Amino acid sequence: MKALISDETKVRFRLPARVVSVVGALAVIASVFLPWAYGHEALDDVTFTGAPSPLQSFFLLLPGLVLLLLVVPFLGKQRLGRFAKAIAWNTSARTGSLATLATVVIALAAIAIELKGLINIEIGGWVAFGGALLAAVGTPLLPDSPEPTLDRVKTPKWAQIVGIVAMMAAVLFLASFALNQTDAGSFLTFGALLVGVVLVLRQLGVLGWLSIAAANNNRVLVLSAFVVAYAFPFTQNGSDANMSIASQVLIFAAAALGLNIVVGLVGLLDLGYIAFLGAGAFTAAILSESAFSTVDFHPPFLVTVLISGVVASLLGLLIGAPTLRVSGDYLAIVTLAFGEIFRITMNNLDGNDGPNLTNGSNGISGIPDLNFLGFDFGQAHTIFGVEIGRFANYYWLMLMVIALIIVVFMNLNYSRIGRGWVAIREDELAAEAMGVNTFALKLLAFAGGAFLAGVAGAVKAHHDVSVTPDQYVFLESAFLLAAVVLGGMGTVMGVLIGATILKLLPEKLRFFSEYRLLLFGLLMIVMMQFRPEGIIADERRQLEFHGEDEQLAEEIEEELITHHTHLFPERKGFVL
Amino acid sequence: MTQVISGSGHHVDATTLLLEASHVTMQFGGLTAVNDVSLNVHAGEIFGLIGPNGAGKTTFFNCLTGLYKPTSGEVRFAGEVLPPQPRLVVRAGMARTFQNIRLFHNMTALENVMVGMYSRTKTNAIDAILRLPRHRSEELASTERARELLEFVGLSSAADTLSRNLPYGDQRRLEIARALATDPKLLLLDEPTAGMNPQETRQAEELIFRIRDLGLAVLVIEHDMRFIFNLCDRVACLVRGAVLVEGQGDVVQNDPRVIEAYIGTPPSEEPISDRGPAGTDQNEGSADA
Amino acid sequence: MELFFQQLVNGTSLGALYALIAVGYTVVYGIVQLINFAHGEIFMVGAFGAFATWMVLGQPTNWGPAASLMILLPLMLLGGIAVSVTVALLTERFAYRPLRNAPRLAPLITAIGVSVFLQEFVRLFYGRIPGFPDAKSAVPFPSIAGISGEIIQIGGVTIQMPAVFTIGALAISTVFLWFFVNRSKTGRAMVATSQDPDTARLMGIDVDKVIVAAFAVGAGLAALAGVAHGLSYGNIDFRMGFLAGLKAFTAAVLGGIGNINGAVVGGLVLGIVEAMATTFIPGQFGSSAWKDVWAFALLILVLVFRPQGLLGAKVVDRA
Repeated sequence: MKALISDETKVRFRLPARVVSVVGALAVIASVFLPWAYGHEALDDVTFTGAPSPLQSFFLLLPGLVLLLLVVPFLGKQRLGRFAKAIAWNTSARTGSLATLATVVIALAAIAIELKGLINIEIGGWVAFGGALLAAVGTPLLPDSPEPTLDRVKTPKWAQIVGIVAMMAAVLFLASFALNQTDAGSFLTFGALLVGVVLVLRQLGVLGWLSIAAANNNRVLVLSAFVVAYAFPFTQNGSDANMSIASQVLIFAAAALGLNIVVGLVGLLDLGYIAFLGAGAFTAAILSESAFSTVDFHPPFLVTVLISGVVASLLGLLIGAPTLRVSGDYLAIVTLAFGEIFRITMNNLDGNDGPNLTNGSNGISGIPDLNFLGFDFGQAHTIFGVEIGRFANYYWLMLMVIALIIVVFMNLNYSRIGRGWVAIREDELAAEAMGVNTFALKLLAFAGGAFLAGVAGAVKAHHDVSVTPDQYVFLESAFLLAAVVLGGMGTVMGVLIGATILKLLPEKLRFFSEYRLLLFGLLMIVMMQFRPEGIIADERRQLEFHGEDEQLAEEIEEELITHHTHLFPERKGFVL
Repeated sequence: MTQVISGSGHHVDATTLLLEASHVTMQFGGLTAVNDVSLNVHAGEIFGLIGPNGAGKTTFFNCLTGLYKPTSGEVRFAGEVLPPQPRLVVRAGMARTFQNIRLFHNMTALENVMVGMYSRTKTNAIDAILRLPRHRSEELASTERARELLEFVGLSSAADTLSRNLPYGDQRRLEIARALATDPKLLLLDEPTAGMNPQETRQAEELIFRIRDLGLAVLVIEHDMRFIFNLCDRVACLVRGAVLVEGQGDVVQNDPRVIEAYIGTPPSEEPISDRGPAGTDQNEGSADA
Repeated sequence: MELFFQQLVNGTSLGALYALIAVGYTVVYGIVQLINFAHGEIFMVGAFGAFATWMVLGQPTNWGPAASLMILLPLMLLGGIAVSVTVALLTERFAYRPLRNAPRLAPLITAIGVSVFLQEFVRLFYGRIPGFPDAKSAVPFPSIAGISGEIIQIGGVTIQMPAVFTIGALAISTVFLWFFVNRSKTGRAMVATSQDPDTARLMGIDVDKVIVAAFAVGAGLAALAGVAHGLSYGNIDFRMGFLAGLKAFTAAVLGGIGNINGAVVGGLVLGIVEAMATTFIPGQFGSSAWKDVWAFALLILVLVFRPQGLLGAKVVDRA
């Protein structure tokens, strides 16, 4: 884009370009009050005049932002003061209008597909499209703005906390809105809108500012994140449909986070991770009071969880001890083989090909719901006047498991052990020659990751009611790996996002489920080519994947120094 | 633990045998890279190992530090047989640097040094996960000591610089700091001045003297004859895997066999190891000095 | 005793199949140190390519043994090889080559991605080609007169003709590989590159070309294995590359990864061990349901006790 239009042209046409863009943004805003479609079926009904549908009102967001960014600079540099330079007005407006165009196109495509034909798009839709097009043509003609410095602006602590809380509230609201979009078109359109807004905020430097605020107020961030996550079931008005998806997302995310310790922190490729989840699930199922349980020992769940974790980590030791001595490459294939061994063994322990432990391919069904001190997870409870159903109970439990995994992840990462892991990733031989016990550290990660998977699996067994071998196949491991790769190896936030995207999309976009695996395969290839560090990049990972990028190294170093977070290692991580 | 920094003037009995390598032989297939080498290094001395390219100096180092298991022969350190495993060698009190710098490039200087402290710290996974007092106190102590070591090698202002962003000479010094962090009794330096200009070489020399003054013994591999004869108490010359001459610096220097071994490749014009990290070559190293 | 020889024959034929695929793993690993997880899928794609050739030839079912063996089978083999080699070279060019200097994890993850992608691609799109059968479940492989269903009886031992084909394919391939590696310029460049890529480059060897050759040779043999699989089992399946690839990798490690002869030996040993395990392990654990478990257990045992494999892996310099 920059090369296409010369700077001189941009300066010469800056006023007309601004006017055209403003008109465009205004048109999109106006279009929201016009009907977009002739039929009621599309996008949850966008046929009203003067009364935008909830989804439509979100279309005010992006053009509104663009309009602000275009109009405010008219105030002049004096009146804006330090904000004149702190915000990348023009480039953000450009991103905003391109994102607007993209979302409008997606919305119109959804209407056209749902109602079969472009002919079904009403005047409002065309106005939106025309306006978005105008803005998208106009804004690239504006001169480039310098790098935003908003993230460097010193802000008082209370403002930072308010910022974090506002962000969390927005996340809660938007997540529940997104989950309530039942048809694929609305979901996609809304998702695209959110991505657009996030891109604009990033360009503005708001995200940078937030991340600094978050780093400075770690505890506020963690606390508010958990408050929001715990509050989520209250937004569902007793409906368990979305909570079922949400609890599945959390189980998946917990497993992905555990895998992230192995892959993200130590750089070992574990392709049989799902087997550890399976080991935990089968252990819990066998020890449960299911009628199909094959042993006569039914300890309370807290004991079962521990046993499940230990069984999984023993398997991890069994696999890891011989292979981790050899080379990381072998681990990948041995874990792959282990995944197969696990599946076959679970299938065979049916009393026919081997002793009966798992009922073979039928698995163990009828696993009873959990019951903690009289709190029955199978029952709906009414709290603050809102009915909290079965899946919401498991959702809350899984939040606790995830919290545990995050604590383990972060506290190990920012410790002597985490430094050892980084050293292993960077140069295993040098690490060994500097006295690092590389084998023990790798084994620790491998068995520890397996333990956490076992714990998650134990909850999953009760959540799913039944456990069968075919739930724990290689493709599930690949799927987990895709979540880690997409989200960002070595990061907690990234993997949570990656897991959510990968689990939520097939649930919400039914047409997509047939192509799910094809696209995930492609996703892994494409991510490795273009953004191996994932959506949210761990700084060190980014450096490793872009070994020759000197400029990036300088930038990241500067960032490290300005944040100063790493200078106080005891502050990172969470104190229990 | 703090003796390296605070123990200057620490008196060492120079007659104590620290490292005894006896009849070390290393063969790769039919090639004998190190042939029946015996060397003794005493506490508190600077011992130089010279020899033309391919003489087996680095291979010998690898045998000492457990990277290779010698085909035959024995290495004793402070009376004990050294286990052929790098990290156990480090625990025993011997640390090394690499000819082609092997820092952890994407870690800061401070973090690099802290990795060196791994074998002398005890925080385990439980301590770290639960953030128990041991984690906190050890972490603070390690950070402080790492800073001291960086100051000792003259890198205190670069603590938060990624090691890949450091100039070449500084990377060599950081590698020494990282090795010192393992709290060694004997430091093995593999061509510490490769690729350095005369001024940096003098600084390196001065640093090695200061390390010796702390009570450590140093075993140095070098090509640069002038450097090694200035520096070392005793020197051995390795040619084709075997010790040609061993003795006081000036004796070795004037030995006709040593001079012969070097004829055709005058030591000061030896090619420089070109396996440094990307973007660092001799010129850059000099410019940054 | 008859049972022993019968199982020896069965194991050898199974092992020959593994060996044909294992060569691809070992050659690529020897040169670029990449475990090409997608190689199992190259094998699968080869089988589907051969099937496609048969479709294009008008689904001939009534050719006599002579015409089948002299014309139909060679054409199918060529078709399979063409498809396998094309796919392998495309993945090399667009997925692996840009990552040659990236951390080890990147190409490994890419390989997983390629593997999943190829499986799904065949599953979803093979049936979309007009006239082609849907590949979402197993596709019956055409029978070749003179091979399919034919047997040779020696004493009490029955030898299936497809087994003879598989073993023969391996024998011919081994001879070809020997000449290729020891006598051809590209082959010798390959050996040089696997020993020291930097020096090889300095000596004027085009390393890119060598890598392409390695992928191509591996893919060609995998396609032979694909046809052999189709003939032996009578059907092909989009999933068949997964397990076969895993076994073949086991074979490559067993023989010593990076060592071409090792791959052949490792494949045969693995096949025979598997066949023997199902016969001679007493009790429930000797049932065929456990044979894959024994094969993988062997992989782990090899890694513990002889990580360099039976014939020795390429020596990796540690310092």
